[in-house]
Amino acid sequence: MSNYIVLVKQVPDISQITDNAFNPETGTLIRSKLANVINDLDAQALAFAHQMRKLKNDDTGKIIAVSMGPPMADEVLKYSVSRCADMAVLLTDRLLGGADTVATANPLAFTIRKIVKELLDDSDDYYIITGMQSVDGDTAQVPAQIAQELNISCIAYATDVAYTNERFEFTSIITGGSQTVVAKKMPIVVTVAKYEYPLFAQFALTRKANEAQIITWGAADINATQIGSKGSKTQVTRVFPPDKTTRLCQQVDVTELATIIVHLFKQEHQKQQDGDEKAPHYMLPERRNSLFDRSYEALVADSEAFKLLGTALESHGVTDIESINEELTTTLVTELEKSLHKKQVEEMLSALKIRTPKYTGDVWVAAECDDDTVIPSTFELIGKACDLADSLEVKVGVIIAGEKVEHHAKELIAAGADIIYTVENPLLKEFDPIAYEKVFSETIKTYRPQIVLYAATPQGRALGPMVSYNLGCGLTADCTSLDIKDRSKKGDIAVLLQTRPALGGNVMATICTVNSDIQMATARPGVMKRIPADNSRTGEVISCAASITKNDISLEIIKKEKSHGKINFDVPIIVSGGKGLRSKQSYETLLNDLSASLQSKLEVAVEKGASRTAVEQGFTERVRQIGQTGTAVAPKLYIALGISGAIQHMIGVANAETIVAINNDPSASIFKQSDYYLVGNVEDIVPQLVEAIANVL
Amino acid sequence: MENKNYNIVDVLIVGAGPAGLTAAATIKKRKPELSVCVIDKAHAVGNHNLSGAVLEPQALHEFLNYIDTNLLASDEAKTILERTVTQDNINFFTSKRLVPMQSLVHLAKILGFNIGAMSHKGDYIVSISQLTKWFAKIAASVGVEILHGFSVSEIVWDKITKTATGVRLVDQGWNKEGEKQQNFIAGEVITAKYVILAEGVDGTVTRDLIQKAGLTREHEPLFSIGVKELIQVSPEQYEKFTKNRVVHALGYPIFKPFTGLDMFGGGIMYPYDDNCIAVGMIVGLDWKEKDFNPQDALALFKEHKFVKQFIENGTIVETGAKMIPEGGYRAIPRNPETNAIGCGNIVIIGDSAGLVNMIKIKGLHNAIRSGMIAAQTLTHSSVVSTFSGNYTKELESSPVMKEMRKAQNFRQTVAKFGNLIGMPLSILGNLLPKYDIEADYKTMTSKKYKLKGDKTFDKANFTALALIEHREEQPSHLKILNAEACKECAEKFNQPCVVFCPAGVYEDIHGTLKPANASNCLHCKTCQRKCPYDNIRWTVPEGGGGPRYKRM
Repeated sequence: MSNYIVLVKQVPDISQITDNAFNPETGTLIRSKLANVINDLDAQALAFAHQMRKLKNDDTGKIIAVSMGPPMADEVLKYSVSRCADMAVLLTDRLLGGADTVATANPLAFTIRKIVKELLDDSDDYYIITGMQSVDGDTAQVPAQIAQELNISCIAYATDVAYTNERFEFTSIITGGSQTVVAKKMPIVVTVAKYEYPLFAQFALTRKANEAQIITWGAADINATQIGSKGSKTQVTRVFPPDKTTRLCQQVDVTELATIIVHLFKQEHQKQQDGDEKAPHYMLPERRNSLFDRSYEALVADSEAFKLLGTALESHGVTDIESINEELTTTLVTELEKSLHKKQVEEMLSALKIRTPKYTGDVWVAAECDDDTVIPSTFELIGKACDLADSLEVKVGVIIAGEKVEHHAKELIAAGADIIYTVENPLLKEFDPIAYEKVFSETIKTYRPQIVLYAATPQGRALGPMVSYNLGCGLTADCTSLDIKDRSKKGDIAVLLQTRPALGGNVMATICTVNSDIQMATARPGVMKRIPADNSRTGEVISCAASITKNDISLEIIKKEKSHGKINFDVPIIVSGGKGLRSKQSYETLLNDLSASLQSKLEVAVEKGASRTAVEQGFTERVRQIGQTGTAVAPKLYIALGISGAIQHMIGVANAETIVAINNDPSASIFKQSDYYLVGNVEDIVPQLVEAIANVL
Repeated sequence: MENKNYNIVDVLIVGAGPAGLTAAATIKKRKPELSVCVIDKAHAVGNHNLSGAVLEPQALHEFLNYIDTNLLASDEAKTILERTVTQDNINFFTSKRLVPMQSLVHLAKILGFNIGAMSHKGDYIVSISQLTKWFAKIAASVGVEILHGFSVSEIVWDKITKTATGVRLVDQGWNKEGEKQQNFIAGEVITAKYVILAEGVDGTVTRDLIQKAGLTREHEPLFSIGVKELIQVSPEQYEKFTKNRVVHALGYPIFKPFTGLDMFGGGIMYPYDDNCIAVGMIVGLDWKEKDFNPQDALALFKEHKFVKQFIENGTIVETGAKMIPEGGYRAIPRNPETNAIGCGNIVIIGDSAGLVNMIKIKGLHNAIRSGMIAAQTLTHSSVVSTFSGNYTKELESSPVMKEMRKAQNFRQTVAKFGNLIGMPLSILGNLLPKYDIEADYKTMTSKKYKLKGDKTFDKANFTALALIEHREEQPSHLKILNAEACKECAEKFNQPCVVFCPAGVYEDIHGTLKPANASNCLHCKTCQRKCPYDNIRWTVPEGGGGPRYKRM
């Protein structure tokens, strides 16, 4: 008999965000304005557990739903009972509030221990099933950290399950494809990335759920070791709205459009360099011209305050911070009275005394291989690591594990790495969470880098949380920007600021690691820029021991499949067709021609999308539908052919960097929501555009 | 508890609107030992409720006071019932001007003519979504179980005893290809001692009951469609309008005397909270113009000088559309043998029965009162089989039927003779003979609506603001009975459903008419009443689908 513990979370409903949900002054999302729903992937996890129980044909197996949250989170537990759960446990306590992922995973793991002991007769035969991530956090860290706390393995990104030869075979997403795995040891955590058949509510079960007794535990019941904001390893320093792009709404002709499109991609490097010039590169305090220079603060307001103070100090001829006495302090307070509080001045004066970086050690990248190829994200991360290491005046290290990996050292060094730490062992041929966590943790512990970056891939998002949890470090998931800054007032010099989107991209949050020796982050693939390979670079290779045995292999990989021809909207260009294309044939011809021309000219991946009407008209398959129903996309360039621009569609492309629209209706509403538009018949214009693109120099 | 059969209830009420919730709360209050369950197809409470609305206070007060005398002083009462009508504008619009008519109506009232009932002074101006939400809270507080997201597919009918043993829910988990998905669940059967149908206008379960129990109507039912926008205006505009004024406008853009444009209905403007003004257009479904879309009329109404001054530069915050049952007294479905509105243990209340007073174009107060009467009769006798008979008897002698009878000829007279003659003629009220009125779908002609505005109405944005959601993979809930009829319709009327559907559900795809955007459906059901070939059937989609009105 297997039991199933399903973790469910109550989250704000980001599918229905209205304009009044944003604070008009700060532009940030007001969470309380949104309705609360069960996290979609957790609903899928419930269905997944239900399906497992059905496949095993074992009615005695229990499904227990667990949630941590405020008392009103019992709604999601009622939801769970109304679908399939036999029991529901709510972990709620004010002491648990303000938690990051570590301080969430820890009490949940302790809750699971208590459930197993008290409700499941201490049986080891249970699965912890949960959504891969929640829409409010998007971190995907909690499940892996729970696995780490419970010292068990984790199957991440599961999409399907089968029951053959009396064991469950899980299909899960891996970089570049999918794999089928079996757990060698129980219990195990399974995170669900996509399971298309969430359960429907049933009348009888809903009535039962409304009467159901939900088991409610508080912090004292579970005795967790890391809870609340005190047990957290990361801290949000700033929340701000994402860049609201105002569309240019510029009408262009075919030649202009072709030039604009080509330059959009050509200028990439140019822009990057321009950007660097604008924001001065971080400099350690000892390198700065002035003793009081604090122009690299995490918050711009702080830099400005320090600038005021610095000017005042210089005007008094101060050359040594230690020499400032009470008398001078009082003078300064009076002088700066208009712009700064007394407390602020005092705080800043003592902050100026700290000039040494908070962390020491190199900047590391955890490399990932797909078969025997290092994945592109690793090189992107090395590019970023070079930038960070440059600021910190340390080296770039890369840790790479596998059966044989030393031969990758050359290309990693060429990409910017200084030291390659190789861990080789036949057991490491395939990624196994337990084995990999062990060797990564050990190596990191030995060489003590100050920063470790992982790619936010299925592998990195499982490995990162497990390693960081084991080493007691904070980890920020899915970062889109990483910078070294000071938080002088907190005494933090040269710390890593980790910026990431949250709530489905509706807010941005900047996060800092706290209470940790090492700062860790996973970064979104495709966001950081790799630097051109320099084969003349030299570096060091350190071979590290892998102290693992067969016992550390927790998963049996039955098969791996490369995905081909799957739709991947995570590409720089999406060409999309609507009703204006009039037929399946013209949809195919026009989109294929344009995609091919962009692909060959710009050397980037192009994917084809469609509006709902185009799908309804049968021009293409439903999976290509972009919009509110369908997929929301965020390409660098979105080209809409014959799409009218209904809100439902435009919501799905709001995050596209540049939108180009071609439509023969001069009053099409998409024109007001695009950057460049062209009025004309799509069938005529696309061939011209293809030609024009080829001709752009 | 483990073995309790949750599929059995004492009283099952289909539809959590004002009628159903009033019935539920009153039953539970009177007999707490009964299990009372209200189910509704909407995602959440109030999501499928749309009305003007002006609400006559009396029935409401009686209901609230019966449940708890403190309710009228509660916070909800203070906000939901905040606005009462002190200024009652009834105007006749020409394309540029308006002629005030309230003194005429006032005079009619004094003289005791029917049309005097058009007066609304002292009524509450409410959002029915919010009112419903409050009613649900009240019902829950006395122990009623309210379950949302459950659609009923049919009545489970016992032919021998001629009673409803319960209802069957809609299957969930079919895919577009008509195959069962992995998560398929066949519709559960809910067994109930009593069933009350309170599903609102032109309900599909009511249709099923009419068919299974052989209920009949003396008259064809008639309908109107109301399309409505909630517009947030500037505080100055709102103040100028005032929060205690209601505007009803006859005439332009749906009726121009002597030009042949002669539709029943008119525009409305009601103040809501938060500087919002609800602007709507109600049009009788017996229009004749094949290319007419009520939203075009709404767009023209909004452009009228009088309306425009209050809403110009405003932001549309919510939209919706719904039908109004206008058949009146003679179109109420009844048991031909007993005259009962229902059969044995099952009754029909509120808009499902068509209890709308057509002179007032108001039915909310009757919905509430019919709910109370159903509850009183249900709890008064323990004999199940006499429920529908007793309910009908009580209803007939109540204020509901008194006013329904009084208004019984009004709409039919206008339908028969047009606005110009019909309206004044209806003053004669019940002295007029009975007419045979055609069903709405038969009135279509090849005439065109000549007042079209500059651009066609943006239906996509309209539906977006109604926050419609349906599970995309389910089969279309809109059934086209005969494809050949659509071809004939295309030649004769140019497929009016493509135009009049407020959500733009229907499209001609390579020569075949399809409910291509079924998942945009607003659940107004106009299509099944106005398709000139009576060729569309609206069935209930999976629970939780449809619009998500918050303040309609």
